[in-house]
Amino acid sequence: MLDVSLLVQMLLGALLALAVYLPLRAGQLSLATPGFYAVGGTVAALLSTRAPALAGDGELYPLSSVLLELLLALLLAGALALVIGGPVLRLQGIYLAIATIALVEILRVLLLNSSWFGGAVGIFAIPQPFDGPEGYLGAYGLLLALVCWGCHWLEQQPLGRAMAAIRDDELAARCMGVDTDRVKLLAFLFSALVAAAAGVLAAHYFNSWNARQASFDASITSLAFVVLGGSRTWLGPVLGGLLLTALPELLRPVGDLRLIVFGLVILLGPVLIPQGLIPRGLINPKRP
Amino acid sequence: MTTAALLELDQVSRRFGGLQALDGVSLEVQQGEILGLIGPNGAGKTTLFNVITGLTAPSSGSVRWRGKAIEGQRPDLLCRLGLARTFQNLRLFRQLSCLDNLQVAMGRNDRRGALELLALVQLQGRAEAAAGSLAYGDQRRLEIARALATGPQLLLLDEPAAGLNPVEKQALRELVQLLRDQFQLTVLIIEHHVPLMMQLCDRLAVLNFGRRIALGSPEQVRRDPLVIEAYLGKGAP
Repeated sequence: MLDVSLLVQMLLGALLALAVYLPLRAGQLSLATPGFYAVGGTVAALLSTRAPALAGDGELYPLSSVLLELLLALLLAGALALVIGGPVLRLQGIYLAIATIALVEILRVLLLNSSWFGGAVGIFAIPQPFDGPEGYLGAYGLLLALVCWGCHWLEQQPLGRAMAAIRDDELAARCMGVDTDRVKLLAFLFSALVAAAAGVLAAHYFNSWNARQASFDASITSLAFVVLGGSRTWLGPVLGGLLLTALPELLRPVGDLRLIVFGLVILLGPVLIPQGLIPRGLINPKRP
Repeated sequence: MTTAALLELDQVSRRFGGLQALDGVSLEVQQGEILGLIGPNGAGKTTLFNVITGLTAPSSGSVRWRGKAIEGQRPDLLCRLGLARTFQNLRLFRQLSCLDNLQVAMGRNDRRGALELLALVQLQGRAEAAAGSLAYGDQRRLEIARALATGPQLLLLDEPAAGLNPVEKQALRELVQLLRDQFQLTVLIIEHHVPLMMQLCDRLAVLNFGRRIALGSPEQVRRDPLVIEAYLGKGAP
């Protein structure tokens, strides 16, 4: 049942969940993740299909070109996050969520209506850097490990601690010398970088890329990962992303009902397990 | 003026719509003193704290820190200048451990320093416990430790004794005096418990309807007819 391509999707789910988790750790409910994911995927799709110089001589698309796409995608998504994050992060709570949904919609409509981005049909025949899903499994595994390590490190640092403090009480954090605007912007930036990197690999993996990758559905799905897994520490979203991506494949007979399952998770998760599967302190054995 | 005041308020006013919360309040806080702020509920004491710490901009008037105008500056910058406060209604980072509460305020990883501060407020045994899980009196002391963790020169305490029992109140008085002596702090304190304030403070300022109606030693303030009328009542201790 757990074939390699499902494993790849599970790792992708975990990465998207971490992208939602990062701003949420600082108390910011941003649903912009699919937007930055789409930016990454679109950069990869355009460069690999429109720039012959990147194609290389061999049968497979060169990994160095993927790294170049990654670099450009990170720069673009990072710049976008910094420009948009300033004004958007002045909003709080549900208003931030609405504004970031709008951002995702704007990107989606932009991709859908511009022939340069492939329009409604999308971009096809994106070249393959690996000759099977195992290669993607390795690439996603490496990326996920890197991001997990980064999150784990961040959580031990003053910046990560300031993020958690803002989530508990933003005003008190400000009075204790935390530059809350800067911390929130950095959390938003990290989120955008993770999502964009996941998107670059996804464009190659799916072989085609279109506007449907940036959708409201995707926002809610990635939020469900975090709600189920918990948002106090990085392990929660990873677990949520892995489980909830695998679930619909294991429940394949129910088909489109999986959206209802996600809805139920968002609805029942906070009621039944308010802290998610991985609450604070579960992986901190020093707590009495 | 003989010595420059640490903090000077000059004709500070703040209006919220039709409510004049502060009405031309002038006050000088001298280096090293414990200055008490008393007055009835709604007199503007917390608003004054909010103006000093940057949460509320004054409608008019100026606030000077070591001679430099600071009114309207961001709270995080004021905190780094050396002003730290506690809150009337506790505002701890409830999900974070006691240690992390202090390290957020320190702005760096300093477990040892945080443990020392916890020991100072007798919370060393609760270092890893979530702040929200502490008993009420412990939370009050943790908030004071968190303010200390920012490395302040001026400590603003907003009703630190509220909800404490008499033994805890006495311990709090000793703690504040200890902090002043050990950290060379200047303390501005709001508190309703008048006997405590009489013992603790070097000077008292009395607010009523946003105006400063008295300022002086506890003895002077206690005999001030305006203060007796507005706040203390006749025959007060």
